[in-house]
Amino acid sequence: MRGSRLSKWVIVVPMAALAIATIYPLLFTTNVAMKTQREYILDRFSVSSSLRWDNLSSAWVNGGMARYFVNSLIVVTAAVALLLIIGSMAGFALSHVRFRGSRALFLGCLAALFVPFQVIMVPLARTMADSGLIDTYPGLILAYVAQFLPFTIYLMTSYYTRIPTEIVDAARIDGNSLYGVYRRIMLPMGLPALLSVGVLNALFCWNDVLIALLMMPSPEHRTLMVGVTSLRGQYTADVPTFASGVLIAAIPVLVIYLFLQRQIADGVTAGSTKG
Amino acid sequence: MIIGAIFNMLLSVDGPLNAVLGAVGIDPVDWLGDSSVAIFSVVGVHIWATFGMGLVVFLSGFATLDAALLDAARVDGASTPQMIRHVIVPGLSRTIQFAFVTTMIGMLTSMFGLLFVMTSGGPGGSTYLPEYYIWIQQGQMNRPALASAASTVLFLVMLVVGLAQIAILRRGLKEE
Repeated sequence: MRGSRLSKWVIVVPMAALAIATIYPLLFTTNVAMKTQREYILDRFSVSSSLRWDNLSSAWVNGGMARYFVNSLIVVTAAVALLLIIGSMAGFALSHVRFRGSRALFLGCLAALFVPFQVIMVPLARTMADSGLIDTYPGLILAYVAQFLPFTIYLMTSYYTRIPTEIVDAARIDGNSLYGVYRRIMLPMGLPALLSVGVLNALFCWNDVLIALLMMPSPEHRTLMVGVTSLRGQYTADVPTFASGVLIAAIPVLVIYLFLQRQIADGVTAGSTKG
Repeated sequence: MIIGAIFNMLLSVDGPLNAVLGAVGIDPVDWLGDSSVAIFSVVGVHIWATFGMGLVVFLSGFATLDAALLDAARVDGASTPQMIRHVIVPGLSRTIQFAFVTTMIGMLTSMFGLLFVMTSGGPGGSTYLPEYYIWIQQGQMNRPALASAASTVLFLVMLVVGLAQIAILRRGLKEE
Protein backbone atom coordinates (compact mmCIF):
# COMPACT_ATOMS: atom_id res chain seq x y z
CA MET A 1 0.00 0.00 0.00
CA ARG A 2 1.29 3.46 -0.72
CA GLY A 3 0.28 6.29 1.53
CA SER A 4 2.12 8.76 3.66
CA ARG A 5 3.02 8.29 7.29
CA LEU A 6 0.15 10.56 8.30
CA SER A 7 -2.51 8.52 6.55
CA LYS A 8 -1.15 5.44 8.26
CA TRP A 9 -1.71 7.10 11.63
CA VAL A 10 -5.23 8.06 10.60
CA ILE A 11 -5.94 4.35 10.31
CA VAL A 12 -3.88 3.05 13.20
CA VAL A 13 -5.07 5.38 15.97
CA PRO A 14 -8.84 4.79 15.66
CA MET A 15 -8.24 1.07 15.18
CA ALA A 16 -6.14 0.91 18.34
CA ALA A 17 -8.80 2.87 20.23
CA LEU A 18 -11.44 0.40 19.05
CA ALA A 19 -9.32 -2.56 20.05
CA ILE A 20 -8.79 -1.10 23.51
CA ALA A 21 -12.48 -0.27 23.89
CA THR A 22 -13.24 -3.88 22.99
CA ILE A 23 -10.82 -5.56 25.32
CA TYR A 24 -10.79 -3.17 28.26
CA PRO A 25 -14.15 -4.00 29.91
CA LEU A 26 -13.05 -7.62 30.09
CA LEU A 27 -9.69 -6.78 31.63
CA PHE A 28 -11.42 -4.47 34.05
CA THR A 29 -13.80 -7.22 35.18
CA THR A 30 -10.97 -9.71 35.62
CA ASN A 31 -8.97 -7.20 37.60
CA VAL A 32 -11.90 -6.27 39.84
CA ALA A 33 -12.67 -9.93 40.49
CA MET A 34 -9.20 -10.28 41.99
CA LYS A 35 -9.52 -7.28 44.29
CA THR A 36 -10.82 -7.00 47.81
CA GLN A 37 -13.83 -4.81 48.31
CA ARG A 38 -11.71 -2.23 50.12
CA GLU A 39 -9.24 -2.07 47.27
CA TYR A 40 -12.06 -1.56 44.79
CA ILE A 41 -13.61 1.31 46.70
CA LEU A 42 -10.28 3.06 47.25
CA ASP A 43 -9.15 2.84 43.65
CA ARG A 44 -11.16 1.28 40.84
CA PHE A 45 -8.39 1.22 38.28
CA SER A 46 -5.32 0.08 40.16
CA VAL A 47 -4.04 -3.36 39.31
CA SER A 48 -5.00 -5.87 41.97
CA SER A 49 -2.24 -6.33 44.53
CA SER A 50 -2.27 -10.10 44.21
CA LEU A 51 -4.07 -12.91 42.44
CA ARG A 52 -6.87 -13.55 44.86
CA TRP A 53 -9.39 -16.31 44.34
CA ASP A 54 -11.63 -15.61 47.39
CA ASN A 55 -14.19 -13.67 45.38
CA LEU A 56 -14.41 -16.36 42.75
CA SER A 57 -14.95 -19.10 45.29
CA SER A 58 -17.45 -17.01 47.22
CA ALA A 59 -19.49 -16.36 44.06
CA TRP A 60 -19.15 -20.03 43.12
CA VAL A 61 -20.23 -21.40 46.52
CA ASN A 62 -22.22 -18.72 48.39
CA GLY A 63 -23.62 -17.00 45.31
CA GLY A 64 -24.86 -20.33 43.95
CA MET A 65 -22.97 -20.03 40.67
CA ALA A 66 -21.96 -23.70 40.88
CA ARG A 67 -25.60 -24.76 40.75
CA TYR A 68 -26.41 -22.36 37.89
CA PHE A 69 -23.36 -23.51 35.97
CA VAL A 70 -24.47 -27.14 36.13
CA ASN A 71 -28.01 -26.16 35.09
CA SER A 72 -26.69 -24.30 32.06
CA LEU A 73 -24.38 -27.14 31.16
CA ILE A 74 -27.15 -29.74 31.25
CA VAL A 75 -29.59 -27.68 29.25
CA VAL A 76 -27.15 -26.43 26.61
CA THR A 77 -25.56 -29.84 26.04
CA ALA A 78 -28.88 -31.60 25.64
CA ALA A 79 -30.36 -28.88 23.44
CA VAL A 80 -27.35 -28.72 21.12
CA ALA A 81 -27.19 -32.51 20.81
CA LEU A 82 -30.87 -32.70 19.89
CA LEU A 83 -30.54 -29.76 17.49
CA LEU A 84 -27.63 -31.38 15.66
CA ILE A 85 -29.32 -34.78 15.36
CA ILE A 86 -32.64 -33.39 14.13
CA GLY A 87 -31.01 -30.67 12.06
CA SER A 88 -28.67 -32.97 10.16
CA MET A 89 -31.38 -35.56 9.48
CA ALA A 90 -33.82 -32.89 8.33
CA GLY A 91 -31.12 -31.22 6.24
CA PHE A 92 -30.36 -34.50 4.49
CA ALA A 93 -34.05 -35.26 3.90
CA LEU A 94 -34.86 -31.78 2.60
CA SER A 95 -31.86 -31.61 0.29
CA HIS A 96 -31.62 -35.13 -1.17
CA VAL A 97 -34.79 -37.08 -0.51
CA ARG A 98 -37.83 -36.36 -2.62
CA PHE A 99 -41.06 -36.73 -0.72
CA ARG A 100 -44.47 -35.12 -0.79
CA GLY A 101 -44.47 -31.76 0.88
CA SER A 102 -40.72 -31.48 1.22
CA ARG A 103 -40.71 -28.11 -0.51
CA ALA A 104 -43.52 -26.84 1.71
CA LEU A 105 -41.67 -28.10 4.77
CA PHE A 106 -38.52 -26.21 3.80
CA LEU A 107 -40.51 -23.05 3.13
CA GLY A 108 -42.13 -23.51 6.54
CA CYS A 109 -38.69 -23.56 8.13
CA LEU A 110 -37.73 -20.40 6.27
CA ALA A 111 -40.91 -18.68 7.42
CA ALA A 112 -40.22 -19.72 11.01
CA LEU A 113 -36.84 -17.98 10.76
CA PHE A 114 -38.65 -14.69 10.35
CA VAL A 115 -40.93 -15.11 13.37
CA PRO A 116 -39.31 -13.44 16.36
CA PHE A 117 -39.45 -15.24 19.68
CA GLN A 118 -41.32 -12.41 21.39
CA VAL A 119 -44.31 -13.05 19.20
CA ILE A 120 -44.68 -16.67 20.26
CA MET A 121 -43.57 -16.38 23.86
CA VAL A 122 -47.03 -16.05 25.39
CA PRO A 123 -48.53 -19.11 23.70
CA LEU A 124 -45.30 -21.01 24.35
CA ALA A 125 -45.43 -20.24 28.06
CA ARG A 126 -49.08 -21.25 28.27
CA THR A 127 -48.53 -24.48 26.34
CA MET A 128 -45.58 -25.40 28.51
CA ALA A 129 -47.57 -24.63 31.67
CA ASP A 130 -50.55 -26.67 30.50
CA SER A 131 -48.40 -29.66 29.61
CA GLY A 132 -46.58 -29.52 32.93
CA LEU A 133 -43.22 -28.84 31.31
CA ILE A 134 -42.66 -25.45 32.87
CA ASP A 135 -39.86 -25.32 35.40
CA THR A 136 -38.41 -28.64 34.22
CA TYR A 137 -35.21 -29.34 32.32
CA PRO A 138 -37.00 -31.05 29.41
CA GLY A 139 -39.23 -27.99 29.08
CA LEU A 140 -36.37 -25.55 28.68
CA ILE A 141 -34.46 -27.95 26.42
CA LEU A 142 -37.50 -28.35 24.17
CA ALA A 143 -38.01 -24.60 24.07
CA TYR A 144 -34.41 -24.08 22.94
CA VAL A 145 -34.66 -26.83 20.33
CA ALA A 146 -37.88 -25.35 18.98
CA GLN A 147 -36.43 -21.86 18.91
CA PHE A 148 -33.18 -22.66 17.11
CA LEU A 149 -34.31 -25.56 14.91
CA PRO A 150 -35.35 -23.47 11.87
CA PHE A 151 -31.92 -21.83 11.74
CA THR A 152 -30.20 -25.20 12.15
CA ILE A 153 -32.29 -26.92 9.48
CA TYR A 154 -31.84 -24.01 7.09
CA LEU A 155 -28.05 -24.01 7.40
CA MET A 156 -27.75 -27.81 7.21
CA THR A 157 -30.04 -28.01 4.18
CA SER A 158 -28.13 -25.35 2.29
CA TYR A 159 -24.85 -27.09 3.16
CA TYR A 160 -26.07 -30.53 2.10
CA THR A 161 -27.51 -29.18 -1.14
CA ARG A 162 -23.93 -28.61 -2.26
CA ILE A 163 -23.12 -32.32 -1.90
CA PRO A 164 -23.68 -33.86 -5.37
CA THR A 165 -26.64 -36.21 -5.75
CA GLU A 166 -24.33 -38.68 -7.53
CA ILE A 167 -22.65 -39.51 -4.23
CA VAL A 168 -25.98 -40.32 -2.63
CA ASP A 169 -27.07 -42.34 -5.68
CA ALA A 170 -23.81 -44.29 -5.71
CA ALA A 171 -24.20 -45.15 -2.04
CA ARG A 172 -27.78 -46.23 -2.66
CA ILE A 173 -26.73 -48.48 -5.55
CA ASP A 174 -24.08 -50.02 -3.32
CA GLY A 175 -26.96 -51.21 -1.17
CA ASN A 176 -27.19 -48.63 1.58
CA SER A 177 -30.50 -47.85 3.17
CA LEU A 178 -31.47 -44.20 3.53
CA TYR A 179 -30.28 -44.34 7.11
CA GLY A 180 -27.03 -45.93 5.92
CA VAL A 181 -26.46 -43.03 3.54
CA TYR A 182 -27.11 -40.59 6.36
CA ARG A 183 -24.82 -42.43 8.72
CA ARG A 184 -21.94 -43.16 6.31
CA ILE A 185 -22.02 -40.20 3.91
CA MET A 186 -24.00 -37.27 5.25
CA LEU A 187 -22.79 -37.24 8.83
CA PRO A 188 -19.06 -37.41 8.01
CA MET A 189 -19.33 -34.96 5.11
CA GLY A 190 -21.46 -32.56 7.11
CA LEU A 191 -19.01 -32.38 9.99
CA PRO A 192 -17.69 -28.85 9.32
CA ALA A 193 -21.20 -27.45 9.05
CA LEU A 194 -22.34 -29.39 12.11
CA LEU A 195 -19.46 -27.97 14.10
CA SER A 196 -20.29 -24.40 13.02
CA VAL A 197 -23.98 -24.75 13.72
CA GLY A 198 -23.32 -26.55 16.99
CA VAL A 199 -21.01 -23.84 18.27
CA LEU A 200 -23.39 -21.06 17.29
CA ASN A 201 -26.34 -22.83 18.89
CA ALA A 202 -24.35 -23.45 22.05
CA LEU A 203 -23.54 -19.73 22.26
CA PHE A 204 -27.15 -18.73 21.60
CA CYS A 205 -28.45 -21.07 24.30
CA TRP A 206 -25.71 -20.21 26.77
CA ASN A 207 -26.29 -16.46 26.39
CA ASP A 208 -30.07 -16.61 26.39
CA VAL A 209 -31.93 -14.91 29.23
CA LEU A 210 -35.48 -14.49 28.01
CA ILE A 211 -36.40 -18.13 27.35
CA ALA A 212 -34.68 -19.34 30.50
CA LEU A 213 -36.46 -16.72 32.56
CA LEU A 214 -39.80 -17.68 31.06
CA MET A 215 -39.38 -21.45 31.38
CA MET A 216 -37.57 -21.74 34.72
CA PRO A 217 -39.17 -19.54 37.38
CA SER A 218 -37.80 -21.27 40.46
CA PRO A 219 -34.41 -20.14 41.83
CA GLU A 220 -32.78 -23.56 41.90
CA HIS A 221 -33.42 -23.99 38.18
CA ARG A 222 -31.78 -20.74 37.11
CA THR A 223 -29.33 -20.92 34.26
CA LEU A 224 -26.03 -19.14 34.52
CA MET A 225 -27.14 -15.99 32.73
CA VAL A 226 -30.21 -15.55 34.88
CA GLY A 227 -28.07 -16.42 37.89
CA VAL A 228 -25.63 -13.59 37.19
CA THR A 229 -28.54 -11.17 37.29
CA SER A 230 -29.74 -12.45 40.63
CA LEU A 231 -26.18 -12.15 41.87
CA ARG A 232 -26.36 -8.44 41.18
CA GLY A 233 -29.26 -8.06 43.60
CA GLN A 234 -27.45 -10.19 46.15
CA TYR A 235 -24.13 -8.37 46.04
CA THR A 236 -25.09 -4.79 45.19
CA ALA A 237 -22.40 -3.37 47.41
CA ASP A 238 -19.86 -6.13 46.86
CA VAL A 239 -18.71 -5.37 43.33
CA PRO A 240 -15.71 -7.74 43.33
CA THR A 241 -17.90 -10.78 44.09
CA PHE A 242 -20.34 -9.71 41.39
CA ALA A 243 -17.44 -9.30 38.95
CA SER A 244 -16.32 -12.84 39.85
CA GLY A 245 -19.77 -14.15 38.99
CA VAL A 246 -19.65 -12.34 35.66
CA LEU A 247 -16.21 -13.82 35.02
CA ILE A 248 -17.43 -17.35 35.76
CA ALA A 249 -20.27 -16.89 33.29
CA ALA A 250 -17.97 -15.41 30.65
CA ILE A 251 -15.13 -17.93 30.77
CA PRO A 252 -16.85 -20.76 28.86
CA VAL A 253 -17.90 -18.33 26.13
CA LEU A 254 -14.39 -16.91 25.90
CA VAL A 255 -12.89 -20.39 25.64
CA ILE A 256 -15.31 -21.28 22.85
CA TYR A 257 -14.48 -18.07 20.98
CA LEU A 258 -10.76 -18.62 21.38
CA PHE A 259 -10.69 -22.15 20.04
CA LEU A 260 -13.52 -22.10 17.54
CA GLN A 261 -13.25 -18.61 15.97
CA ARG A 262 -13.09 -20.05 12.48
CA GLN A 263 -16.36 -21.99 12.87
CA ILE A 264 -18.15 -19.04 14.45
CA ALA A 265 -17.07 -16.69 11.69
CA ASP A 266 -18.12 -19.24 9.07
CA GLY A 267 -21.53 -19.64 10.67
CA VAL A 268 -22.12 -15.92 11.12
CA THR A 269 -21.06 -14.99 7.63
CA ALA A 270 -22.92 -17.83 5.90
CA GLY A 271 -24.98 -16.09 3.25
CA SER A 272 -23.30 -12.73 3.62
CA THR A 273 -21.23 -13.05 0.48
CA LYS A 274 -21.77 -14.74 -2.82
CA GLY A 275 -21.09 -18.44 -3.15
CA MET B 1 -25.90 -10.50 28.66
CA ILE B 2 -22.55 -10.86 30.30
CA ILE B 3 -21.74 -7.63 28.54
CA GLY B 4 -24.71 -6.01 30.22
CA ALA B 5 -23.44 -7.13 33.59
CA ILE B 6 -19.96 -5.79 32.89
CA PHE B 7 -21.27 -2.42 31.76
CA ASN B 8 -23.49 -2.34 34.79
CA MET B 9 -20.31 -1.97 36.82
CA LEU B 10 -18.62 0.41 34.38
CA LEU B 11 -21.62 2.71 34.11
CA SER B 12 -22.78 2.84 37.72
CA VAL B 13 -23.01 6.31 39.28
CA ASP B 14 -19.88 5.80 41.38
CA GLY B 15 -18.33 3.62 38.67
CA PRO B 16 -15.15 3.91 36.62
CA LEU B 17 -16.55 5.85 33.66
CA ASN B 18 -17.79 8.62 35.90
CA ALA B 19 -14.48 8.56 37.75
CA VAL B 20 -12.67 9.19 34.47
CA LEU B 21 -15.11 11.96 33.53
CA GLY B 22 -14.67 13.46 36.99
CA ALA B 23 -10.91 13.52 36.52
CA VAL B 24 -11.29 15.76 33.47
CA GLY B 25 -13.87 17.90 35.26
CA ILE B 26 -17.15 16.61 33.94
CA ASP B 27 -19.96 16.04 36.43
CA PRO B 28 -20.96 12.41 36.92
CA VAL B 29 -23.76 11.23 34.67
CA ASP B 30 -26.30 8.73 35.96
CA TRP B 31 -25.95 6.54 32.85
CA LEU B 32 -28.57 3.97 33.78
CA GLY B 33 -30.65 5.85 36.36
CA ASP B 34 -31.54 8.94 34.36
CA SER B 35 -34.63 8.31 32.25
CA SER B 36 -33.45 10.55 29.41
CA VAL B 37 -30.00 8.92 29.19
CA ALA B 38 -30.65 5.27 30.02
CA ILE B 39 -31.97 4.17 26.62
CA PHE B 40 -28.95 5.64 24.86
CA SER B 41 -26.63 3.87 27.28
CA VAL B 42 -28.31 0.54 26.53
CA VAL B 43 -28.25 1.10 22.77
CA GLY B 44 -24.61 2.18 22.99
CA VAL B 45 -23.71 -1.03 24.80
CA HIS B 46 -25.65 -3.05 22.23
CA ILE B 47 -23.68 -1.40 19.43
CA TRP B 48 -20.45 -2.09 21.29
CA ALA B 49 -21.48 -5.73 21.69
CA THR B 50 -22.45 -6.36 18.06
CA PHE B 51 -19.71 -4.26 16.50
CA GLY B 52 -17.28 -7.19 16.44
CA MET B 53 -19.66 -9.42 14.52
CA GLY B 54 -20.25 -6.67 11.99
CA LEU B 55 -16.50 -6.38 11.59
CA VAL B 56 -16.20 -10.12 10.92
CA VAL B 57 -18.96 -9.94 8.32
CA PHE B 58 -17.29 -7.02 6.54
CA LEU B 59 -13.87 -8.64 6.73
CA SER B 60 -15.15 -11.68 4.90
CA GLY B 61 -16.91 -9.34 2.46
CA PHE B 62 -13.69 -7.47 1.70
CA ALA B 63 -11.92 -10.78 1.18
CA THR B 64 -14.23 -11.49 -1.76
CA LEU B 65 -13.53 -8.15 -3.46
CA ASP B 66 -11.69 -8.64 -6.73
CA ALA B 67 -8.20 -7.17 -6.31
CA ALA B 68 -7.83 -6.85 -10.08
CA LEU B 69 -10.84 -4.54 -10.14
CA LEU B 70 -9.27 -2.29 -7.50
CA ASP B 71 -5.99 -2.18 -9.40
CA ALA B 72 -7.79 -1.37 -12.62
CA ALA B 73 -9.58 1.54 -10.98
CA ARG B 74 -6.29 2.79 -9.57
CA VAL B 75 -4.63 2.60 -12.97
CA ASP B 76 -7.54 4.50 -14.47
CA GLY B 77 -6.76 7.28 -12.00
CA ALA B 78 -9.63 6.95 -9.56
CA SER B 79 -9.28 8.90 -6.33
CA THR B 80 -9.91 7.20 -3.01
CA PRO B 81 -13.46 8.59 -2.61
CA GLN B 82 -14.21 7.53 -6.19
CA MET B 83 -12.87 4.06 -5.45
CA ILE B 84 -15.12 3.76 -2.43
CA ARG B 85 -18.15 5.11 -4.25
CA HIS B 86 -17.86 3.17 -7.51
CA VAL B 87 -15.88 0.03 -6.77
CA ILE B 88 -15.93 -0.92 -3.12
CA VAL B 89 -19.53 -0.14 -2.16
CA PRO B 90 -21.08 -1.86 -5.20
CA GLY B 91 -18.76 -4.82 -4.64
CA LEU B 92 -19.89 -5.10 -1.06
CA SER B 93 -23.60 -4.55 -1.72
CA ARG B 94 -24.50 -8.06 -0.65
CA THR B 95 -22.47 -7.74 2.54
CA ILE B 96 -23.99 -4.37 3.37
CA GLN B 97 -27.50 -5.73 2.92
CA PHE B 98 -26.70 -8.73 5.07
CA ALA B 99 -25.28 -6.56 7.83
CA PHE B 100 -28.25 -4.22 7.59
CA VAL B 101 -30.81 -7.01 7.90
CA THR B 102 -29.06 -8.91 10.68
CA THR B 103 -28.41 -5.76 12.69
CA MET B 104 -32.03 -4.75 12.40
CA ILE B 105 -33.26 -8.17 13.49
CA GLY B 106 -30.77 -8.12 16.34
CA MET B 107 -31.95 -4.74 17.53
CA LEU B 108 -35.58 -5.77 17.37
CA THR B 109 -35.31 -9.13 19.05
CA SER B 110 -32.20 -9.59 21.12
CA MET B 111 -32.03 -6.64 23.45
CA PHE B 112 -33.94 -8.34 26.22
CA GLY B 113 -30.89 -9.65 28.03
CA LEU B 114 -29.25 -6.24 28.11
CA LEU B 115 -32.41 -4.50 29.26
CA PHE B 116 -33.08 -7.08 31.91
CA VAL B 117 -29.62 -6.81 33.41
CA MET B 118 -28.90 -3.14 32.94
CA THR B 119 -32.11 -1.27 33.67
CA SER B 120 -35.00 -3.73 34.18
CA GLY B 121 -37.06 -1.43 31.97
CA GLY B 122 -36.49 1.51 34.26
CA PRO B 123 -36.15 4.20 35.29
CA GLY B 124 -39.84 4.91 35.07
CA GLY B 125 -40.37 2.63 32.09
CA SER B 126 -38.09 4.70 29.88
CA THR B 127 -36.24 1.66 28.54
CA TYR B 128 -39.22 -0.58 27.86
CA LEU B 129 -39.05 -2.33 24.52
CA PRO B 130 -41.96 -4.39 23.16
CA GLU B 131 -40.39 -7.69 24.17
CA TYR B 132 -39.76 -6.44 27.69
CA TYR B 133 -43.34 -5.21 27.99
CA ILE B 134 -44.70 -8.56 26.82
CA TRP B 135 -42.54 -10.40 29.29
CA ILE B 136 -43.63 -8.18 32.19
CA GLN B 137 -47.30 -8.59 31.36
CA GLN B 138 -47.05 -12.34 30.89
CA GLY B 139 -44.52 -13.38 33.49
CA GLN B 140 -44.83 -10.79 36.23
CA MET B 141 -48.32 -9.30 36.06
CA ASN B 142 -50.01 -12.50 34.92
CA ARG B 143 -52.02 -10.73 32.23
CA PRO B 144 -51.81 -13.17 29.32
CA ALA B 145 -54.55 -11.45 27.31
CA LEU B 146 -52.73 -8.12 27.32
CA ALA B 147 -49.44 -9.87 26.59
CA SER B 148 -51.00 -11.71 23.65
CA ALA B 149 -52.42 -8.47 22.29
CA ALA B 150 -48.99 -6.85 22.54
CA SER B 151 -47.45 -9.89 20.81
CA THR B 152 -49.93 -9.56 17.96
CA VAL B 153 -49.11 -5.89 17.48
CA LEU B 154 -45.40 -6.67 17.56
CA PHE B 155 -45.93 -9.45 15.04
CA LEU B 156 -47.67 -7.07 12.63
CA VAL B 157 -44.84 -4.57 12.97
CA MET B 158 -42.25 -7.29 12.42
CA LEU B 159 -44.20 -8.58 9.43
CA VAL B 160 -43.91 -5.19 7.73
CA VAL B 161 -40.22 -5.01 8.59
CA GLY B 162 -39.71 -8.60 7.44
CA LEU B 163 -41.45 -8.03 4.11
CA ALA B 164 -39.35 -4.90 3.57
CA GLN B 165 -36.24 -6.95 4.28
CA ILE B 166 -37.27 -9.66 1.84
CA ALA B 167 -37.95 -6.99 -0.81
CA ILE B 168 -34.49 -5.50 -0.24
CA LEU B 169 -32.83 -8.91 -0.42
CA ARG B 170 -34.75 -9.74 -3.61
CA ARG B 171 -33.61 -6.53 -5.25
CA GLY B 172 -30.06 -7.30 -4.15
CA LEU B 173 -30.19 -10.74 -5.73
CA LYS B 174 -31.44 -9.32 -9.02
CA GLU B 175 -28.54 -6.90 -9.19
CA GLU B 176 -26.03 -9.71 -9.30
